[in-house]
Amino acid sequence: MTGILRDLWRYHAEFRIGAALIAVALLLSVLASFSPYPPQQVYVVPPDVPPSLTYWFGTTSRGQDVFWQLTFAMRNTLLFGCTVALISRLLALTIGLFSGYKGGWIDRSLMAVNDTFIVIPLLPILVLFFFVMRDRMSWLLLALIMASLGWAYDARLIRAVAMSLKAREFTQSSLFSGMSTREILVQEHLPYVMPIVFSTTLNNMVWSIGLEVTLAVLGFTDINTPTIGGMIYWANQHTAMVAGIWWWIAFPTIAVIMTFIGLFLLAVSMNDYIDPRSRLRSFGGAS
Amino acid sequence: MSDLLLDVCQVSKTFTRGGLLSGQRIAAVKDVSLQLDAARPEIFAIVGESGSGKTTLSRMILNIEIPTSGKLLFDGVDLATLRTGADRLAFMHKVQPIFQNPFDSFNPLKRLDRYLFMTHRRFIASDGRITPEMAVDEALHKVGLSLKEVSHRYPHELSGGQLQRVAIARALLANPKLIVADEPVSMIDASLRISIVNLFKTLRDDLGISIIYVTHDLATAYYVSDRIMIMQKGSVVESGDARTVLNAPQHPYSRQLREAALLPDVAAGL
Amino acid sequence: MTQAETMPGELPDDAQPILSVRDLQAHFRTDRFGVKRDVKAVDGVSFAVRRGEIYGLAGESSSGKTTLVRTIAGAVKPPLDVVGGRVDFAFLPGYGGLRRAPAAEVARIRWRHLSYIMQGSMNVLNPVRRLRSAFVDFAYPHIGESRKQFEQDVVAHLARLKLDPSVLAAYPHELSGGMRQRATIALATICRPDVILADEPTTALDVVVQKEVLAMISGIRREIGSSVVLVSHDLGVHAQVTDRLGIMYAGRLIEEAATVEIFRNPLHPYTRHLISSLPRIGDDVPRKGLEGAPPNLADPPPGCRFHPRCPLAMEICRHKVPATLETAPGHRIACFAVNRSEAA
Repeated sequence: MTGILRDLWRYHAEFRIGAALIAVALLLSVLASFSPYPPQQVYVVPPDVPPSLTYWFGTTSRGQDVFWQLTFAMRNTLLFGCTVALISRLLALTIGLFSGYKGGWIDRSLMAVNDTFIVIPLLPILVLFFFVMRDRMSWLLLALIMASLGWAYDARLIRAVAMSLKAREFTQSSLFSGMSTREILVQEHLPYVMPIVFSTTLNNMVWSIGLEVTLAVLGFTDINTPTIGGMIYWANQHTAMVAGIWWWIAFPTIAVIMTFIGLFLLAVSMNDYIDPRSRLRSFGGAS
Repeated sequence: MSDLLLDVCQVSKTFTRGGLLSGQRIAAVKDVSLQLDAARPEIFAIVGESGSGKTTLSRMILNIEIPTSGKLLFDGVDLATLRTGADRLAFMHKVQPIFQNPFDSFNPLKRLDRYLFMTHRRFIASDGRITPEMAVDEALHKVGLSLKEVSHRYPHELSGGQLQRVAIARALLANPKLIVADEPVSMIDASLRISIVNLFKTLRDDLGISIIYVTHDLATAYYVSDRIMIMQKGSVVESGDARTVLNAPQHPYSRQLREAALLPDVAAGL
Repeated sequence: MTQAETMPGELPDDAQPILSVRDLQAHFRTDRFGVKRDVKAVDGVSFAVRRGEIYGLAGESSSGKTTLVRTIAGAVKPPLDVVGGRVDFAFLPGYGGLRRAPAAEVARIRWRHLSYIMQGSMNVLNPVRRLRSAFVDFAYPHIGESRKQFEQDVVAHLARLKLDPSVLAAYPHELSGGMRQRATIALATICRPDVILADEPTTALDVVVQKEVLAMISGIRREIGSSVVLVSHDLGVHAQVTDRLGIMYAGRLIEEAATVEIFRNPLHPYTRHLISSLPRIGDDVPRKGLEGAPPNLADPPPGCRFHPRCPLAMEICRHKVPATLETAPGHRIACFAVNRSEAA
């Protein structure tokens, strides 16, 4: 794995830029632990101070330091994206691999469920959940809801690969070597769908973070937990743009765009290398 | 009943292609029967062109495909009654496959020896005196290889002929009574092909394993098999002793096949 | 390849060959993620094809036979690279290969003089267009006559190859594999090319159909007098149609003679093994296998590439490459065990 990363670093400009951007985002979220102010407290610093040496990114109208607020927001937003991606990948992998390998009525019924999830309109459902749950809507619950809405399309991709793998001779060899279904799926087929999992993980994070920001900006999330979207929500509430407090909106926006571009570049460059076929070609095997 | 190793009773297989209502039904195998004797191991060739149903038939014998009608009995046990995982494992213990493409018979991303050790672990009760390494090495020796040549190797590091030998060694580790080989030499280079074919003869003569040899090649079928069955569009057109059938084919289709087989004897055409 | 080489094309009984290949070297060069590989797929091959003959090339997978015809056809794209040697066509003198000729010249000779039937080319016909459009798309621009005249030519050509003109109205999927392959060959030969390069034209076809396609190839030679270079791994195919046969092993041509001569009197130990190990119907003699496997061309053995598997290997085989010498009229062979004088 370290070898792969080293090669990627050496040969892919996209990977270098993407990794640098994500490194900055990660650094920001790590810095949250060193914040001198608790994230939820207001009026801890003088309000509306423009960026200066004391307050690097300025302060908000609520008397919060934008830089330290941003570190918490970054941490929560990245954590949110990872949680959604992780849970939805697990769902997509399990259902996709199993459905594609088993076929028959199992496949048909699982795919019927899958297709239902694909056509459900997302934003109205999420807003509906917010109005039903109101104050009980924590970020973890939101992550769970979004994960259960975000697996369906990728499960179909994985199922397609699993179906072609089922037709390969080595699947039969494994079966006649006495492997159980679970062993075949995990040991034989999983490596072949990992490229899909990797690239969709990053895409899924972009999707979930984007959706979370949208919801937060509109005020449909738990606004007391600082997230990137939450920061922009509060800035809008205090009409920051009109009042000339541009730094309150500009820095969170730059941070989220940086994260998006970083994730996207990583997805593009890693996909090129993690694909087992190109990996095999690089050491001279046939796929 | 139980003196038959394999009893295929009038099996048919129909595939449905297309939707539920507009589906097209294709009969891949029509009413085929064949019997293998348990006491007398033999190489039984199923010969046909593409679309003859020979691969579908071999997949039914391997219990990968379920027949639409008819019965398959192996060692007196109806394959349709195999329901639990343990039943299936017991069946695979006695019947093992060998496939056409040796480069795809093993996962290209995994080491070869894991399949060998896995087969040994799953099918052979552990015996304190024989370590898995010894058992695998012995199976590889039967096919002219050794564990030293195979361990820690990936499939792409071996030639097609060597891989097919490993595939046979893997099948042997389950200690089967029947091996079903679907076109096992059609993707193997000419200079290596005959040694694989010879290996089948050795398995029959020395280990008493019956082999179902599925092929389109009449010449190798003549060379290795004891009995032969020629299929066309899902039906059997002619079957019997390999030498009798191929030296003097009766059915027009068998004769056509026999004539179309490109004989390397230029002298014959001079 | 050394000075003692007999150059092909200096045959007294024939005019200049239509195609001659001299010391051709083509390598696959890859440099991926810092791993450099140089696979010597074709390593010093020389041969000549006469007018109107069917020349066969036989060999196992990775013997370089497909790379050889690709190089002759000028289909050289990275990672494949021509390292040395020349390919001369009688109708394209002076350039030493399509690769070096100007684009206009290449366009002039494609289809009219040289046709290349690639492996599996019957599967590249556009599935949503009738075969007639394939003929119009590919061949019409090269003919330069009225559309009506072209239609007539196509029908006449199909009739000559014993194909029904109704195939023109069919979509590719409506035809069987054998019919598609025959239509592809008809398409490749519509302009009556001087040289047809056919790479495994009958692989993947059933035996009965295979025989029909081979008969068609012989028919083309008879009807329009083309020379054919036929690549096949199947010696039965060569026995059926080719006049002369070259055997390739690990990127080199190791033996070449009239097909009948190869089957009756093979000289190279590898060829001898190939011929003697072929099972024949009606012959119960046990055959023997050959030890070892073809070498890895990224790191081939020094000297004669067959020596690790050769029953007649001598000391000299381990470090010196045998030259291809003409031992009997028209029978060229690269082996020290046969060409004793060279070894001494």
